[in-house]
Amino acid sequence: QRKPSEPKIPSSLIKSVFKHYAKMPVASKSFKIVEKCTEKYFKQLCNDLAAFASHAGRKTVEVSDVEVLMRRQRLVTDEMPLHVLIEHHLPLEYRKLLIPVVVSGNKVIPEIKCS
Amino acid sequence: MNCAVPRTTLRRILKRQKPLLRLSANTDLLVHLNFLLFLRRLAEEARINAFQNKSRIIKPEHIIFAAKAILKKSRG
Repeated sequence: QRKPSEPKIPSSLIKSVFKHYAKMPVASKSFKIVEKCTEKYFKQLCNDLAAFASHAGRKTVEVSDVEVLMRRQRLVTDEMPLHVLIEHHLPLEYRKLLIPVVVSGNKVIPEIKCS
Repeated sequence: MNCAVPRTTLRRILKRQKPLLRLSANTDLLVHLNFLLFLRRLAEEARINAFQNKSRIIKPEHIIFAAKAILKKSRG
C-alpha cells in the first residue's frame, strides 16, 4: 500500500506566482530551489502560528495571530495595513470573505467580532 | 497568474505540522496571502542578486542566496 504523500502546494502554482513576481526569465532549475524554500517557510510558519496561538491561550489560530505574524515580518506596517495587502494580492471572491463591507440595511458582511 | 487558493492543501500542510492546532474560518486565506508575499520578497531579492551578478536570468544560486535572507526576515 502506498503511503499518502506529504501535502504540498502544487508546483505549478508556485511556478506561476514566482514568475509573476520575478518579472525576469527564471532558469528552470531554480523552481526546485523555490519549492524547497516554501517547504522550509511553511515549517517556520506553523511553528510561529502555534507559538502565537498558545501564547494567547487558544488552540485555534485566529486572524489576529496571522496579522501579528505579518507585523513581525514587517509586511504589515503602519503605512501598509493588512486590508491594503489583501486588496492588492487576493482575488475578489476571497477578498469578500476577509474585508467587511456595509450592505443595505446597515448590515456588515462578514460580521466584525467585538472583543 | 493562477488565482485559485488551494485552501484544503494549506489546511492539510498545517495539520501535518501541528496536528493539535486548528484554523479559524478564513485564516487559511491570510496564510496564503502571507505565502504570496513571501514569494514576492524572494523573487525581488533573487532579481536584485541576479542584477548584481550581471546575469540575464535568475539562476538557482541567486535564489539560494536570497532565500537565506528572506527566510530569516519572515521569522515571527
